[in-house]
Amino acid sequence: MLAFDRVSKVYKLKGVRKVILDDLSFAFPEDRNVAIMGKNGAGKSTMMRLLAGSEPPTTGHVYRSLRVSWPLGFAGGFNGSMTGIENIRFVSRIYGQDTERVIEYVKDFAELGPSLQLPIKTYSSGMKARLAFGLSMAINFQVYLIDEITAVGDETFRKKSNAVFQEKLKSSQIIMVSHSAATIKEYCDCGLLLNNGGVTFYDDVGDLLRDYKSL
Amino acid sequence: MNTAELLTLQLRVILSLVLRETRATFGTSSFGYAWAVITPTASVAVLVILFSLIGRHAPFGSSLALFFATGILTLQFFTEVSSKLMTVFDANKALLTYPVIKDVDTILARALLISATYLVIMVIFYSALIAVGMAELPAQPEQLILVFFTTAFLGLGYGTLNAVIASLWDTWIQIEKVLTRPLFFISGIFYVPSQLPVRAQEVLQWNPILHLVEGFRHGFYPNYKTSILDMTYPAIVGAILLLLGLTGERLFRRSRF
Repeated sequence: MLAFDRVSKVYKLKGVRKVILDDLSFAFPEDRNVAIMGKNGAGKSTMMRLLAGSEPPTTGHVYRSLRVSWPLGFAGGFNGSMTGIENIRFVSRIYGQDTERVIEYVKDFAELGPSLQLPIKTYSSGMKARLAFGLSMAINFQVYLIDEITAVGDETFRKKSNAVFQEKLKSSQIIMVSHSAATIKEYCDCGLLLNNGGVTFYDDVGDLLRDYKSL
Repeated sequence: MNTAELLTLQLRVILSLVLRETRATFGTSSFGYAWAVITPTASVAVLVILFSLIGRHAPFGSSLALFFATGILTLQFFTEVSSKLMTVFDANKALLTYPVIKDVDTILARALLISATYLVIMVIFYSALIAVGMAELPAQPEQLILVFFTTAFLGLGYGTLNAVIASLWDTWIQIEKVLTRPLFFISGIFYVPSQLPVRAQEVLQWNPILHLVEGFRHGFYPNYKTSILDMTYPAIVGAILLLLGLTGERLFRRSRF
């Protein structure tokens, strides 16, 4: 189960109060891939962090009985002064994985070559995304939370990640944030639209994309 | 997950964090760790030279260096743990991206790393003093171990509480610095507390760090007389502070984000 129970999320900074989610109750369907769309600042990434459990809601509860990934985004929790390999080791350890297996997998998948021996701060955002993506694919999650990073890399890399992804989708589900209609159509079969603290569920991706465009 | 699984998970996370912090704190060069040992050593050395220059003798025993070290290294250990913990929430915010890591894990990991570092520092420092004949072997090593753990515990409690206060009100970081500055003078670093007037002793014994310094000296010197020492006091203060800190962490968790 992955569900929001009367969840509100409010940020207060320098006297400015911003309501991201307002009293939302929603159970994510377990056998479908869900798109999350909305304008910049609508709270898509916040929703991902709430789903993952990286952040608690202001009020309400998030119920999670599945093995959910961390939100896969560009920023990530990589330590800039540590090398790629060291970051992989760290994440493998906290998830109780066989470190060497994960390193081999990521080496093979992300094709970063000798860059893996360099500190993350020398990486481009594309390289970071490849690393984060490869790393998460090496660990088996029941739900993958993907925040805008599928469209990275060149054509060959995209093909490769697509193949791995399709394989994963047989046993896992994804919840994905994206602005790209093509990506959403390819992976998702239902979706949520975030707008001014309100959330609408769409059973059909076509309807979701239509309403998203008219925002 | 049952309790055993959760404990294994937490232990795994804390140990991974310690390894990561080690790399992040001491940098890529192996010399980074050397600095961690050199800095406290140098500050003791400066004090010893300064006091020798003005012609002071050790207030107790024959070695000025040993007397200062037992005071200042104990205080430094406490200050280091508590001050590094104070900023722990901010410093590790990015790590919380991984939902398996919780704030309390980052606190414990940091306290563990600093304690391990100070264990190395103290072993090297006191071994060196013994090697050059400026100190004898400690009279009661087990007492030193007890004081070491109590110092870490008090630092953990005080640091956790400070971290919570600082996350709610960041000016606290500056205020706390001013408030703890006098610790250098009231913790018995360059005098024997039991030789002070009774009135002064009555006031100073409220300072838990004074008991730690006294405890360390009592364990190191074979005949150090103290009328103040009570090791349960710093332990109880540490327990109360830790309880307050962890309660605060839980109560204000949602408002930190």
